[in-house]
Amino acid sequence: MIPFDQIFVQIVNGLVNGMILALVASGLTLIFGIMDIVNFAHGDLFMLGAYIGTTAFLTTGSFWIALVASVVVMAVLGAALQVTALRPLLGRDPLTTILATFGLSLVIQNYALWQYGPVPRKILEPVSGHFRLFYVEYPWYRIVIALMSAAIIGALYLFMKYGKHGIWIRATTQDRVMAAAMGIPVPWVHTVVFAIGAAMAAASGVLFGPTVGINHAMGFDFTLRAFVVVVVGGMGNLGGSILASIFISLLESLATIWVSPAQAVIVSFVALILTLLIRPTGLFVPTPK
Amino acid sequence: MAERWQSEPWTKDMWWSGKTTRRRFLGLSATAAGALGATMLVPAPWREAFGQAKPYKIGVLQPLTGAAAAGGKTALVGSQLAADRINKSGGINGRPIELVIADYESKPDVGRRKAEKLVVEDKVDVGEGGYLSNVCLACMPVFEEQETVFMIGVCLDTTITTSKCSRYVFRPFDYAPSQAVAFAPYLVKKLGKKWHIVYLDYAWGQSTRDAYVEQIKKQGGDVVGTTGIPLGTADMTAFISKITGSFDGLFAIMFGANAVTFTNQAYDLGLTKKAKYAGDGAVAESTHLTALGQKVEGFTGVNRYIPVLTKPLDTPYHKKFFEESKILLKQMDPSGPDPDRYVQSNFEAMNFLKLGIQKSGFKGRAAGDAEFKKESLKLIEALEGMEVKEGDDFPQGDKTLRREDHQAFLRQFIFDIHNNKHRLLEVIPREKTVVAPACTFPKA
Repeated sequence: MIPFDQIFVQIVNGLVNGMILALVASGLTLIFGIMDIVNFAHGDLFMLGAYIGTTAFLTTGSFWIALVASVVVMAVLGAALQVTALRPLLGRDPLTTILATFGLSLVIQNYALWQYGPVPRKILEPVSGHFRLFYVEYPWYRIVIALMSAAIIGALYLFMKYGKHGIWIRATTQDRVMAAAMGIPVPWVHTVVFAIGAAMAAASGVLFGPTVGINHAMGFDFTLRAFVVVVVGGMGNLGGSILASIFISLLESLATIWVSPAQAVIVSFVALILTLLIRPTGLFVPTPK
Repeated sequence: MAERWQSEPWTKDMWWSGKTTRRRFLGLSATAAGALGATMLVPAPWREAFGQAKPYKIGVLQPLTGAAAAGGKTALVGSQLAADRINKSGGINGRPIELVIADYESKPDVGRRKAEKLVVEDKVDVGEGGYLSNVCLACMPVFEEQETVFMIGVCLDTTITTSKCSRYVFRPFDYAPSQAVAFAPYLVKKLGKKWHIVYLDYAWGQSTRDAYVEQIKKQGGDVVGTTGIPLGTADMTAFISKITGSFDGLFAIMFGANAVTFTNQAYDLGLTKKAKYAGDGAVAESTHLTALGQKVEGFTGVNRYIPVLTKPLDTPYHKKFFEESKILLKQMDPSGPDPDRYVQSNFEAMNFLKLGIQKSGFKGRAAGDAEFKKESLKLIEALEGMEVKEGDDFPQGDKTLRREDHQAFLRQFIFDIHNNKHRLLEVIPREKTVVAPACTFPKA
């Protein structure tokens, strides 16, 4: 017999988890799409954003101010990191930038450990309360996270579609040389894109923070999952990554009905392998005609 | 308005106000380097007292980076506190001790490599530390091959002193079978008959789960389900939302950030309100309480150490240990947490080594490489069966380091979390935590 209650609970879980993952992955895929940089430090930007959020939360007592403060600080920090560590490597072998972002990851992790110490931190959720979802008490806050993620991704989409600077970013993605020839300041577009990526990582860190203890290792798990969805969705394809996040999270959640959640993650790796074998450009990239 | 701040009148008397010439830069750099060098040449105040005496080198293995860094850094505080006290009180046999600290990055392969480096290249006299059970298990053969005593500071996996026991390895604190024997009667008689166990799916979690399943059943209770969660899982909702059915209590075997994540998310999904929440004391260590807030309220656990200063832990030894640890912990983390069991067991592990070295007259590598094995065996014999009393060196209480398996037995504290603090409910005397030895040492 099909356990409908479990299916429904896992669909809700999958959608919520998918939206959180989409927010992390969209920053990652944006940076890759524009700059051809595989950002290994993305999970650490997520973690540092959460820590900055706790500092702002302790100072102001407001979750929403903490969210905004963290986004702003991390955008500035992201821009600074791009200018100092990544811009000098522009045009070099991709391996160089991979090593650079890996180095940044280690620096950020150890900085967080030194600055904040090893004791996990807490940031209080702005919305408490639960609703009954069959056999579980489902927290409203997880729904808020999904809605906030959708709102942030939606805002990014509108900015990219209609904003002047969004059009610059899309032009740079399509043809960097031609964009430069048309007068678009390509190096600054790169800086702004990295800043947006860092800000989105920070937003997801602060939003996800209340459901875990904030600690220096909280980005590990997300980085791996975000890389999977970025490849499945099509490297650099923003819409594809968002669809892939929801698709993979739903698949994993539904698989947990029949197998252990630890085994269910295999589903995402199977999807990754199949994508690489059958459609290496990504599942959600239109077939070239 | 002056264009350069150096031209402002208020900067006239500042030594850095002038133009930075190459000569000035080199001069200042040389002065700074000289001052730094001079500081490094001045020995620590206790060091002078030892003259030319060769220090005992103690190799300390801890995860200071990576996923388990939080626990590793806390554990290191215990070793450092004991080393400071030993050196300030005249060292061991007139020799100071020197800690050679190795960070194994929370990875078993790195742990094994670092253990080899400690004994082969750094030539340490003994090893101490551990933390992650899979790392302890990976490093034990190294210490055995190199005939070096390894005094474990944290690892709790049962097999360390049972099926995989080693003549060279000692565990001077409790293990899961002891905790389960101590806690299971309370769980079944006072909290509930039917339990669901959630555990971290690796060596320690699995062996602890087995110990509790056995003891809960022995007490007339039942374990209706178990759920394993991999180490480092950031979002555990998929696991938690699968826990269904009827049970009285949820028993968690978790530590560190995993425990914080699980407790947070189990509370959010209503699981810890539906059933009584209990577990290994590592779930609610003092270092987690701020992050957990009211979500851990009412949790009942068992631990070898809790940071309370009420009877029977209101001794001057415990107060001294508590206060001195707090100072070091404040340097490690600005929030200044209370000491936890990782600080306590590493502190006491170092003191077991001190007593063993004193009793055996162990010279370590100072006796020469050819004699080192004999020296290690002397130390092993001194430690085997050692009985220690509650005091400055052992603020947790009396202990026995059993000869047959090198496993210690000590009293256990059953506690709950009340107003975000530990509250002592019951003390289980060490005699009631003893389980039969299950170890056959490999022949040398």
